Amino acid sequence: MSELTHSSMHDARDAEDDRLLRSGEIDLLLAGWVETIDSRCVAKMRGPVGHDVGQAVCERLWKELKGGKHRDGRWPFRVIVHQVIGYVCAGWYEKGWGENELIEIDGPTADSFTSDVELQLSLEAFVATLPPGDGEVARLWLIERLEIDEIAERLGKLPNALYQARSRINARLREWLES
Amino acid sequence: MTGQLEQLLDEFVGRWARDEPLAVDELLVRAGPQSDELAVLIDRFLERAPRREPTPDALAFVRSLDDPPLLRARQARGLKLDDLAAALVETLGLGEKAREKVRRYYQELELGQLEPGGVATKVWDALSGLLGRDARGLAAQAPPTLAAAPMFREANFVAEDLPLERTAAAETNEPDEVDRLFGVV
Repeated sequence: MSELTHSSMHDARDAEDDRLLRSGEIDLLLAGWVETIDSRCVAKMRGPVGHDVGQAVCERLWKELKGGKHRDGRWPFRVIVHQVIGYVCAGWYEKGWGENELIEIDGPTADSFTSDVELQLSLEAFVATLPPGDGEVARLWLIERLEIDEIAERLGKLPNALYQARSRINARLREWLES
Repeated sequence: MTGQLEQLLDEFVGRWARDEPLAVDELLVRAGPQSDELAVLIDRFLERAPRREPTPDALAFVRSLDDPPLLRARQARGLKLDDLAAALVETLGLGEKAREKVRRYYQELELGQLEPGGVATKVWDALSGLLGRDARGLAAQAPPTLAAAPMFREANFVAEDLPLERTAAAETNEPDEVDRLFGVV
């Protein structure tokens, strides 16, 4: 884990997703995404209705996976997941949406794939925007997922100093997420 | 960034990093008037972060996805069949005597044994309100009948969900309001 960058974590997860897809372990594959789907839908829908929306996203993905879709490995499964989240959330309140089974989501368009999904979405890209000191703290926090005490020990610093760094990192993280 | 928003984002990212439940809705409530701003940040963070390892609960949820959609929607709301039937009777303004028939028709609908095309809009609206989902859309996704998939019927259904016997004494030849609402005429 400690040797992984966030991009390589994406790559590793993509490879694991691809393996699960090809081996037919589609229940494990989708289960790995349930939390992300549910949490994103709650955020996008601004409240508990997002749980229902997330369930609809899971239902759709499950149906597609059982139907053999997405097995060609053309897009990482995460790309499909985020596409379906966007699609279902956007249409949730449209009358008759639930009856619409005709719109197909085979994957992103080339434009959205390159601009929105593949190139911009790694947290490693965020860490790279930080100055070296804060960047190292962010890497240990967000990528290696260490606690503040562990980061302090690793860097030989006092936890208080790291709380200040984390505050700066949060401010920059917000800017990066809003960009 | 305000102090509170920064703190909530920090708390969210900390939960994510520690593999703790994210509980996004709780964070949004705490954000108060800044919930929109926090929601955007959380959404974008999750879009850019790698997924975490699946939990046993998530796996169990996925494995339940073969159950009929209306059944799952009801269970997701924590509603027993009797609860839903009672609420449906009340919402539709039917008398207490209608409850048993409403329960039976609803369950047949849930299990794909009742043709959804004949069900009145009033019923779909009531069900959608109770289930928090587009009930008509869910019914349209249902498998034709459970007989096509006996494995999960045995594994996933509990006793309270078993259909009530149709009793000759309870039936009359004349369609009543419940029959008309459920398209059983």
